Amino acid sequence: MSLFDFDWGLIWDNRGALINGMWTALSVSTVALLISTVVGLLLAVLRNGPRSVSWIAVGYINVFRGVPALVSVIWVYFGLSLVLGISFSVFQAGVIALSMLYSAFLAEIFRSALTAVPHGHTEAGWALGMRTSQIFFSVSLPQAIKIALPNIGSMYIGMVKDTSTFTVIGLLEVVRVTQNLVATTFQPFVLYTAAAIIYVIAAFAIDLVFRLVEGVYVRPPKALLGRAIRARQRRNIDKIVAKTRASSLATAQLFVK
Amino acid sequence: MSTRVDEMRPAGGNAVKTPIVQIRGLHKSFGQTEVLHGINLDIHQGEHVVLFGPSGSGKSTVLRSINLLEEPTKGSLKVDGVEYGPGFADENLKRGTKLQLRRKVGMVFQQFNLFPHLCALDNVALPQRKAQGKSMSDAREHAAEALRKVGLLERAGHYPSELSGGQQQRVAIARALALDPDVILFDEPTSALDPELVGEVLKSMREVAETGMTIVVVTHEFGFAREIGDLNVFMENGRIVESGPRGFYDNCTTERAKEFLKAVK
Ligand SMILES: Nc1ncnc2c1ncn2[C@@H]1O[C@H](COP(=O)(O)OP(=O)(O)OP(=O)(O)O)[C@@H](O)[C@H]1O
Ligand SMILES: [Mg+2]
Repeated sequence: MSLFDFDWGLIWDNRGALINGMWTALSVSTVALLISTVVGLLLAVLRNGPRSVSWIAVGYINVFRGVPALVSVIWVYFGLSLVLGISFSVFQAGVIALSMLYSAFLAEIFRSALTAVPHGHTEAGWALGMRTSQIFFSVSLPQAIKIALPNIGSMYIGMVKDTSTFTVIGLLEVVRVTQNLVATTFQPFVLYTAAAIIYVIAAFAIDLVFRLVEGVYVRPPKALLGRAIRARQRRNIDKIVAKTRASSLATAQLFVK
Repeated sequence: MSTRVDEMRPAGGNAVKTPIVQIRGLHKSFGQTEVLHGINLDIHQGEHVVLFGPSGSGKSTVLRSINLLEEPTKGSLKVDGVEYGPGFADENLKRGTKLQLRRKVGMVFQQFNLFPHLCALDNVALPQRKAQGKSMSDAREHAAEALRKVGLLERAGHYPSELSGGQQQRVAIARALALDPDVILFDEPTSALDPELVGEVLKSMREVAETGMTIVVVTHEFGFAREIGDLNVFMENGRIVESGPRGFYDNCTTERAKEFLKAVK
């Protein structure tokens, strides 16, 4: 049997369903990424805090980064919902499962990124009369985010791949869509090849997006996007500089006269 | 120990000024090791104080105690008559918080510590917005004025990575100045610089001194110290060994200070 004997046209015929599957996977992952970013950051701060609170973060991180996504989602969808008496939708269960796991990973990423910001910057902030919280948000965090971005991108790709296990709870993501198509067409080789390709394309796209965002954080702004975002600020600064220059020249002339 | 002129004036006389910074019996330990063993120091309005001495003698620790980057283990630190240290049990003084203290005392570090994600102008503007609650445009205008004073107005939009060490340190000076502090502390401000960049930073510091700003500086630049030092303090092993007014570098009396000055010449 040669490669040409397969019905490759099936991929094109079912592109809508496959893309919808990826769309679902990306939606679940994106919501979970946002939640994990916030929770991960909180855990990272807790983790760097005094012993009396850091053990909570240490415990959480060590437990949840060891749980596989498949186990996590079954636990949430069939277990947690029973205990809490809430029936989660498959989408919600997927988001909760991913958020639980990836908060732990992101906590570690943020912790090391925050540690990489020189302590001298915090000291300078203190010496300048800023509050610790102000220093965190205006000085440490922006620098830490830039350091963390490439790793956050990898985590996001990992999340999208992990959604493939959510087929067990019936989430209509790429694998579930593929399974459904295989059941009617009996072409697993073709369709799973398509599934693989779609994951790879998604990973490339995510990587590209994160590179662009990273470019925005580069100082001085180099990438086109970064420069475009800074353009207004740049004009504002030039205006203030010109004004100060003019007023100092005026004062200088006053003295000459 | 040489005596300061105004201490010789009769107590209660009009000429007696209360010091803006008054340090009494200040001790500091890191864990079990005590590194400052009772420091007494008065700093008056407009005075330029030079701290010098061998490495590890506690100069930075004294300086960093004045804005509570290091918290004294024992003793009194008064600024403008308000107690910020542990104080003494028998005293019942007005106490201030760290934040209040740091809004009166500026500091310039050896390593500049500019915020690398902000341009020079915003490095100077940020603390004004956060510590003084100024609006972005007010803070930036005031920042531009501060940068002009250190000769860096034309570099306002540059990021720290685009500035030389000397320029970065001058931005750091502008950043501290822009908050209108009562006292400004310099911890070896030129020690991290290439020799050819030292001059421009000293020039900016000299200009700050000429405005009548109260200054405390730790430095190994003895030419500069001779020039600006109204009060010169020699430290060793966590103690002030000797201090004196202008001309101190030629007139010090203790063997230790003489030896040290001879060695660094
Ligand atoms: N955070 C710290 N933890 C423990 N010991 C410290 C700490 N900071 C300073 N020390 C110790 O305190 C003593 C005084 O240090 P300090 O930095 O004040 O000296 P210095 O006079 O500024 O020296 P240098 O000229 O090298 O800067 C030294 O013995 C130093 O090892
Ligand atoms: Mg030092």
